[in-house]
Amino acid sequence: MTTHPHLRLTTVDAQDSVRIEAHGDLDHDSAGLLLREVTDQLSARPAMTDLHLLCAALGTVDSMGLSALLMIGRRTAAAGVRLHLDDRPAKLDRLLRLTGTLDHLTAPPLTPR
Amino acid sequence: MPDLPWGRAPYPVLVADVHGAVVRCNDAAGLLLPAAAPGTPLTDVAPDWLCAAHTALSLPGPHAVPDTEGPLRGVIGGRCFEAHPTIRKDGSVAWWLVDDTDHQLVREALCMERGRTAFLAKASNVLLSSLNLARCMDVTAQMAAESLADAALAIAPARGQRLPVVTCLRGGAPVLSTLTVDPDDVPGLGEALRGFPPVPSRWIDPATAPAWMVPEGFGPVGSIVITPLPGHGVPAGALILLRRTENAAFRDEEEVFARLFAARAGAAMSAARLYAEQSTITDVLMRELLPPVLHHISGVDFAGRYRPSADHERIGGDFYDVHPAAVEGEASLVSLGDVCGKGLEAAVLTGKIRNTLHALLPMADDHQRMLGLLNTALLSSHHTRFATLVLASAVRRGNVVDLKLTSGGHPSPLIIRADGTVEEADTHGTLIGAIPNISSHTASASLAPGESCVLYTDGITEAKGGPMGDALFGEERLKRALSDCAGMPAEGIVEHIQMLAAQWLGNRPHDDMAVVVISAPRTHHLSAVNGHTRGRFTA
Repeated sequence: MTTHPHLRLTTVDAQDSVRIEAHGDLDHDSAGLLLREVTDQLSARPAMTDLHLLCAALGTVDSMGLSALLMIGRRTAAAGVRLHLDDRPAKLDRLLRLTGTLDHLTAPPLTPR
Repeated sequence: MPDLPWGRAPYPVLVADVHGAVVRCNDAAGLLLPAAAPGTPLTDVAPDWLCAAHTALSLPGPHAVPDTEGPLRGVIGGRCFEAHPTIRKDGSVAWWLVDDTDHQLVREALCMERGRTAFLAKASNVLLSSLNLARCMDVTAQMAAESLADAALAIAPARGQRLPVVTCLRGGAPVLSTLTVDPDDVPGLGEALRGFPPVPSRWIDPATAPAWMVPEGFGPVGSIVITPLPGHGVPAGALILLRRTENAAFRDEEEVFARLFAARAGAAMSAARLYAEQSTITDVLMRELLPPVLHHISGVDFAGRYRPSADHERIGGDFYDVHPAAVEGEASLVSLGDVCGKGLEAAVLTGKIRNTLHALLPMADDHQRMLGLLNTALLSSHHTRFATLVLASAVRRGNVVDLKLTSGGHPSPLIIRADGTVEEADTHGTLIGAIPNISSHTASASLAPGESCVLYTDGITEAKGGPMGDALFGEERLKRALSDCAGMPAEGIVEHIQMLAAQWLGNRPHDDMAVVVISAPRTHHLSAVNGHTRGRFTA
């Protein structure tokens, strides 16, 4: 578990899928933390096929938070890993819809390995 | 004096009676005061300070020595002595003299060192509390003139042919002058100003000093020393110290001390110079990045206001621009957006976006194409820093303003109708700069006279505050506020929204807030036209 004053991450991993549960705000200060965690998991588990980001307990997501999600989307796609933003709160959906990123982040095109 | 047990004591001892006559003295006292023989008046033997002390103390009969603050001190034969009295039964006084000349010298040296340390500490405090080069030069010259010399000159490296010089006389105020002189004409000054390699201070013959180096009314110069001011890898300048003929020339230790002071002054001056350079760079950047003042263009009113998130970061993530049409009768293009993040990185991206949009103006009628090209220009493999923005093309047709509005992942513009209805423009799209394939949908709208279209950034709707301090200003509250603005001029609406957001925030921190309003001006029939036929209007 990684802690931050605003964001707490719990990572549970299985053979081919990793679940990261994020509690708190994803913002200017904490966005880097989530991005690092995902990057570490991607490089540590080359056999991973699915990355689940559990968003139910996610608070405010600001523009830097969204930027981090987009980078996570880019890195998972490059690694051939499917990204799942699970249990999205309505607020996050609204942000993704407003910025036109919902489809991109929820059905990312997979580049072949 | 064999009867005296202290006859061979190493310290001088002298006994005098109540009448002020010497009674006896030991060998050491004999050496110190050769005239001291029993029976001689003390006044003929000892210096005045000791005689006066004896007269005050020597009373008939036994009594105690009154308490005094510290021992009595004075000079005998060029050396410094402490005099400790003991009173004998008959009232006569034995004076024990202790030579403390060396002690005194050490004490003076300590006192001087303390003074210098305090001076250096003060110099550091005063100099480092200012990032203003002119003030640093003033302080350097003034402090040097107070403590190191009779007059001091602080010289900054030349700008072109001109040498900035601050001159200060002891007790006077520092005076800045810019001189057109060649520093290489003064031995050591050119090297000191170049700073590389570091040169030691040097004395120069006052006779060779040029006239500009000697302040007016200073009189004949006794000695001059030139000390370089070392900076952070850059020469900070030089310090020139002058003393009058009647004062002693600079001693080695004084010159070392002047160098210690110069090191501090140089550090402060070069820090101030670097800061000044940086703030010039920021100013230049900001002049480019600050939003323009908007006005009336081709029959359409524009107004905009930008409130940055923090005063020390005047350039932030929000931006707007209005580009008048190249050809009269075509649409002007408004862009308003928000770059993710803040500070200089955001400002650089903002600059890129504004420049790219400017270059893409020839295709301003095709918003999709503009956004697509802008997106490609901004995509970077290193980061997913993005921008959301709205493009608005506005053109006056008759007394109506036709709009085309396209959102690239940005909150939709709001349209205030004449009756106070607030509509959300039906446009949506993908944010710019992070995803290779983007799409967007353009909305069309028309503004009747007195109607307005409001473009804003989420700094307004996400302003956190209100009565409880934790509520967002929100889209609904913004729409209600805009509904009250029906018929208001563009400038008034911008003012009103910024004021409401500021009140909502109170003193709480906030994100950048930008608002642009496009209005169709209320028109008046020209009196020359009869007012019934559709014809010419003034705005």
